[in-house]
Amino acid sequence: MLNTRQRSTVERLDRPSAYFFNKNRRNRRHDRDHRDGENEDSNMHPEAFDDPLKDATTLYVGNLQVYELFSKCGEIKRLVMGLDRLQKTPCGFCFVEYYTHQDALDCMKYIGGTKLDERIIRTDLDPGFEEGRQYGRGKSGGQVRDEYREDYDEGRGGLGRQIQAERMREHDHKRYDDNDEQYGRLR
Amino acid sequence: MADYDRRDGGGYNPKKRRYRDDDDGDRRGGPRRRFDAPPHVRVRKQLLAIAENPMRPWHEEVQSIANLFTDNWDDELLRTNFVDLVLQLAVEQPMKTPFLAAVVLVANTNKPQIVDMLLAKLTSTLEIKIAEGDWRDVKLYLKLAGCLQSCLEGDGVFPVLEELFSRAVDLQTASSEDTIGTELVKIILLTLPYVMVTGPTQWQQKAADLMEKTEIIAGEAHPLQALIEPYHPEAGDQSPVASQSCISLLQTQLQNEANNGWALSCLPRPWELPVEEVEQQEKIANAEKHTLPPIAIPQTVVAGPRPLFPEIYFSVYANQDVESTPPLTNIAASLIRDALVDTINVLNFNRNVTARFLIELDCYFAPRTFAARATPFDKIREIEPPKSSWKPEDVAVDAVFSQLFSLPNPEHKLVYYHAVLTEACKLAPAAIAPSLGRAIRFLYRNSHRMDLELSNRFMDWFSHHLSNFGFTWKWTEWVDNVYLSNLHPDKAFIMGAIDKEIRLSFAQRIKNTLPEPYQSLIGPEKEKDVPDFKFADDKTPFAAEGKEIAALLRRKAPEEEIEPVIERIHSLALDNNLDPLVASTDVFVTSVLHVGSKSLSHVLAAIERTKERLTDAGATSEAARTQIISSVMEYWSAHPGVAIAIIEKLLNYSILTPQAVINWAITTYAGATRGEALAKGFVYEMVFNTVVKVTSRLRQVLQKATLPEAMIDDETIEAEINGMRSLFRAIEDALFAWASGSKDEMLEASDGLGEGDGTSETEKLVKRWGERWLRVFKRRAAIEEAFIVEARKERERKAAAAAAELAAAPAQGDDMAVDSVDAAAEVTA
Repeated sequence: MLNTRQRSTVERLDRPSAYFFNKNRRNRRHDRDHRDGENEDSNMHPEAFDDPLKDATTLYVGNLQVYELFSKCGEIKRLVMGLDRLQKTPCGFCFVEYYTHQDALDCMKYIGGTKLDERIIRTDLDPGFEEGRQYGRGKSGGQVRDEYREDYDEGRGGLGRQIQAERMREHDHKRYDDNDEQYGRLR
Repeated sequence: MADYDRRDGGGYNPKKRRYRDDDDGDRRGGPRRRFDAPPHVRVRKQLLAIAENPMRPWHEEVQSIANLFTDNWDDELLRTNFVDLVLQLAVEQPMKTPFLAAVVLVANTNKPQIVDMLLAKLTSTLEIKIAEGDWRDVKLYLKLAGCLQSCLEGDGVFPVLEELFSRAVDLQTASSEDTIGTELVKIILLTLPYVMVTGPTQWQQKAADLMEKTEIIAGEAHPLQALIEPYHPEAGDQSPVASQSCISLLQTQLQNEANNGWALSCLPRPWELPVEEVEQQEKIANAEKHTLPPIAIPQTVVAGPRPLFPEIYFSVYANQDVESTPPLTNIAASLIRDALVDTINVLNFNRNVTARFLIELDCYFAPRTFAARATPFDKIREIEPPKSSWKPEDVAVDAVFSQLFSLPNPEHKLVYYHAVLTEACKLAPAAIAPSLGRAIRFLYRNSHRMDLELSNRFMDWFSHHLSNFGFTWKWTEWVDNVYLSNLHPDKAFIMGAIDKEIRLSFAQRIKNTLPEPYQSLIGPEKEKDVPDFKFADDKTPFAAEGKEIAALLRRKAPEEEIEPVIERIHSLALDNNLDPLVASTDVFVTSVLHVGSKSLSHVLAAIERTKERLTDAGATSEAARTQIISSVMEYWSAHPGVAIAIIEKLLNYSILTPQAVINWAITTYAGATRGEALAKGFVYEMVFNTVVKVTSRLRQVLQKATLPEAMIDDETIEAEINGMRSLFRAIEDALFAWASGSKDEMLEASDGLGEGDGTSETEKLVKRWGERWLRVFKRRAAIEEAFIVEARKERERKAAAAAAELAAAPAQGDDMAVDSVDAAAEVTA
């Protein structure tokens, strides 16, 4: 039988990024951006200039679209929208929690890198949502990623161009109840 | 392949690509660091990228890899890695198999030992895969073995194929419903061409003998075939093409090929060298022959991890006036489709690589099999034979559609196939987009005669695909259909697709992408993020109570404060001759929804806090249960996607039962709309999702039950099975009434119009929707029944195996047995 440890002959898209394993060992041009995955500005889509969505920032719209798209990989258990720490407005990332790990892996493979209303979705597996992680960690209250980008592209406002969807790992029904209290506090 | 992806920078420039992964990359004058890499690394890199470069002659590449390998024969790591990598590539990148075989054939001239090493591992792996029932891997390893036929002793792989056939016969004789035997025949027929391409004259008789036998199974239509037909035409209408099973097609195509001297003109022959290398060619021909080690095939073979079904050949380019894909009479249709489908399904873990294989398809087949890449369809029309008019893009995307529209289910989630098409379209938009356009037109034209499940898959893919490309589509060409009745299938498609687009974006934006006549389909209510709260209007009955409850819920007031308001509604309702519980349920549920209207997380939290009252209401009467659903669907009527999501959560909380949801959709709502509900995509989606929820739950239980340690008793299983069966029965009964025209609402409607003979246009359309729905859910029921049968067999097999192991353990008598005896004693105690 073939060795199961064998690496694939092509790269797999359902592996977590190095973020949680190794926050510091990143050698890319913009090492200030230590929160997010690799930068995609170099191949940003041309539509960015006449983005019809630049004003649609309400929590509701984002939430609904994310739900619609991400549930193509399996039923969603919980969705936590990322908020600007100061203004409590969405800032371009969210946690999507599925019922099974397989659904989360499929999401990495089939949804990460595609578009949702003109924004490219970047996904990463995540060890799990904890209270407080829904807030942006940048100095201005939003995502670190956005701040870094503002250095280069002013006039884009504080809104992230891409939704970063981070997902939690496998979760079973039992733990759902354990989380209730915390869950309630999110509102 | 992907080893190089990053370096490439993502640009699609074939000219640039030509030097990309050449082993002699010094042409570019770049760094020569690669030459410092140890041989096993270089061989790996070159093998991985084999045949990817269209500018490099196959014979050069093949010989260069073979020589690099044999020159470094002393490197033990290289030797073992080579064997492993060849076997892994054969199953992970199956389009490369003939090229790998060519490397092995050339290496055989120098180090014949390698073939024995490879065959030993190949056959032992094959045995395992056969025992596990991993039939795709079996097929792919046999394909490799077939390509090596010219260096095998005696009859080579023929005895294996014959042995497989005898199993197929046993299975088919035992049961006409058997699907494993059909799968085995498919494997045999797909291996045969790869054997024949190595030496057509030598094996003609063997092939003829084998095909004479397979004819019996391949020529007969499988009883399950009717269930998975992609088309479901109305009486008096026809499918665009007569459906044919993949194996019956294969059988006739191979017969044509046999009559044609096994030309197999689409298959690559990378082991054939140019005339000036005649010496080397002779060396290959006269190299040592090797015995294929015997492959043990167990007396009983298993279905394996993936449920098996007969397959039907599906094409979105059927009936074109131009032959842009191989005709069904040509074996190329099946061989290219098979290689593509395997590539697509195997490489689901990297859709970018899959998409590149699709676009570079022509690299892996004989030269001149296809027209030039990205040739516009109009130019294809002008191509004269003997030049090929097969458009590689059409062939490639057709393979993806064959999966997207395969029944009962493709191997992966549907969204994977969406993503592959998106990626292919991103990589080569000018080449792929027009092919997709023609595919969309074909599907739209035929959607009304397609199985309803497939029409809905089309709607889902279409809207998702457009969402990745700025929602641009030539809507003007369907503009006449906007004025059709909502019951017309084309109008239903348009409405469903627009709703799905809005769900992935927002109403105003989608409106701007549509021509004027379509815009009236998007009402102003769709542009509101939060629906109106009907109790805000004082004219609504119970307006005061509604506002009060919403206020109480908003400040998270305790249950004792809500109860008096509910009681007030009850007495008011009684005074007005209304069902009190229905009235209070509507007020309460609508208020909960309104309080949670900001987002799905909000509504979930609101439901969570009130779930006791909701559960009690739902449990008390059927009318109240139905009212919960009506309230949800009414409040979120402008955004049915949200409504469906909420219903799903209410099912999870057991506030609703699957029966209640189905009853609401097919009886209550469909009745109230006189059948028009059946034409609405979201109603279908709601029922379909509910059924999937129930069936996947049952499947989980059944799968768990096959593990002896799970200790799930028969009663639990029976209860689950009965639950599912009664659900399907309820669905079928309700749908039968619509499909046969005996539904009360239909009779009443026609009475009113004075045409009770069941012939009015509206009635015909409603009946047709009923028929289409009925077919979908009858199939789902049949598929689940088949699953139950298989799971029972599996359970018995595992139990028998465990018992046999237990019985055999004490007899072994060695040290190892002591543990087993203890274990056995424990079990019996």
